[in-house]
Amino acid sequence: MGRRKKIHKEAKWPRVVSLEEREEVLSFWEERFGIPKETFQDYLLLSTAKNYWLFIAPPDLRPLQNLKVQTVGLLFTRRVSRWLKPTSTALQRFGHLATKNVLELSPSELDRLRREKRLPFEAEMEEGYVIIKCEGKVWGCGLYAQGKLISFLP
Amino acid sequence: MLKVTEAPAYFARYREIIPDFEKFLAHLREPLPLYFRLNELKAPDPEVVLAGLARQGVKAEAVPGFPHFYRVEPRDFPLGNTEEYYLGYIYPMTLSSALPVIALEPKPGEYILDMCAAPGSKTTQIAQVAEDKAVIVANDRRLDRLTALVANLKRLGVACALTTLYRGEVFPFGVPFDKVLVDAPCSGEGRYREGYEGELLYQKEGHTNLPAIQKGLLVRAFDLVKVGGIVVYSTCTFNPEENEMVVDYLLRKRQAEIVPCTYPLPHHPGVTEWEGRPLHPDLQKTARFYPHETQAVGFFVAKIKRLF
Repeated sequence: MGRRKKIHKEAKWPRVVSLEEREEVLSFWEERFGIPKETFQDYLLLSTAKNYWLFIAPPDLRPLQNLKVQTVGLLFTRRVSRWLKPTSTALQRFGHLATKNVLELSPSELDRLRREKRLPFEAEMEEGYVIIKCEGKVWGCGLYAQGKLISFLP
Repeated sequence: MLKVTEAPAYFARYREIIPDFEKFLAHLREPLPLYFRLNELKAPDPEVVLAGLARQGVKAEAVPGFPHFYRVEPRDFPLGNTEEYYLGYIYPMTLSSALPVIALEPKPGEYILDMCAAPGSKTTQIAQVAEDKAVIVANDRRLDRLTALVANLKRLGVACALTTLYRGEVFPFGVPFDKVLVDAPCSGEGRYREGYEGELLYQKEGHTNLPAIQKGLLVRAFDLVKVGGIVVYSTCTFNPEENEMVVDYLLRKRQAEIVPCTYPLPHHPGVTEWEGRPLHPDLQKTARFYPHETQAVGFFVAKIKRLF
């Protein structure tokens, strides 16, 4: 079970990313979805292996780093080969702030996408990750490429 | 499992402290109303959520005095199966369960420890009240319960919490906590009613010495909070041995003060004597909530300040 795997007794504190890495990840959100970097100014960006986590910036991080933690913050973005991919978890939280690359589906289209995982799809937008929305609700992440819409919904 | 016909005998020891005792007994035969908290971290426009639920036949009415809480009709509606639940817009919880966080008054920038956090109704409420800007350490001693907590934090989109797996009574020192919430494991008498699946914990677990566990948790919470900081101790039981007597123990061991608090539900002062034993007079500043007066699970809440 994927969720269980994340919790293990010897979990280590994720590292705080460098300013360059933070800039890269937040620029991706800004350029792809139009969500300004300032949206995340109160948060630290932490990293474990290929995952980036968003965690509130505490007045002082050091005392917290002495705790043996199981999870820290919200899973925000993943590195998938050389691409950055937003998580559905983060899109559900911040996706309503997006100004571009948002796909508004009808309830029947959403149902079909969730069932079949990929659909033939034509839209006037740049290929890449998209925000799946339906009736005002953000469902999460999809990929629009080569005339197809691929579901990354949980 | 305590049958409802056995309830009068079981609860008889509280005849003197529970107001309108007969009314209380009669109330145990009625189902509780259903409530949820609307999670504005993920649903900045509550209307989208309420309209979505209305389309499924759910009538949700705002509860006066409880921001973001709604009372639901019909009260047996399976909220857990809705997409509003799945997307983390709502957290079904009993109304009185909101009281400990009301007493805690979490604020952005504070370090807050939720010592017995799973499954996370109060952790996520703290995050919401503090606009996802408090630093919350959400702890639970059991891995299976922590898994449920982590799932709820994710579902509700909380980014200001980290999770730990310590036994509360030995939680390590070093973080300058402004506030600690001890929503202690308890016998759960306040949840009891006919047809409710929850048994009373200490009947189920036989030899568990709950007051000893609760005292250990509360003393540690007190020692973890900064001087001048706040500890909120709460249970969902009527039993003074798990409530006032636990706080009385702390008042005798440490320099602590009970802080009076205003609540949006009817309540009664804590008891200052139990089974012939006098307790600290300040315990009258703690609060007891009864199901027949609140239409919710019975609760006990004490707000405590660390003086030294």
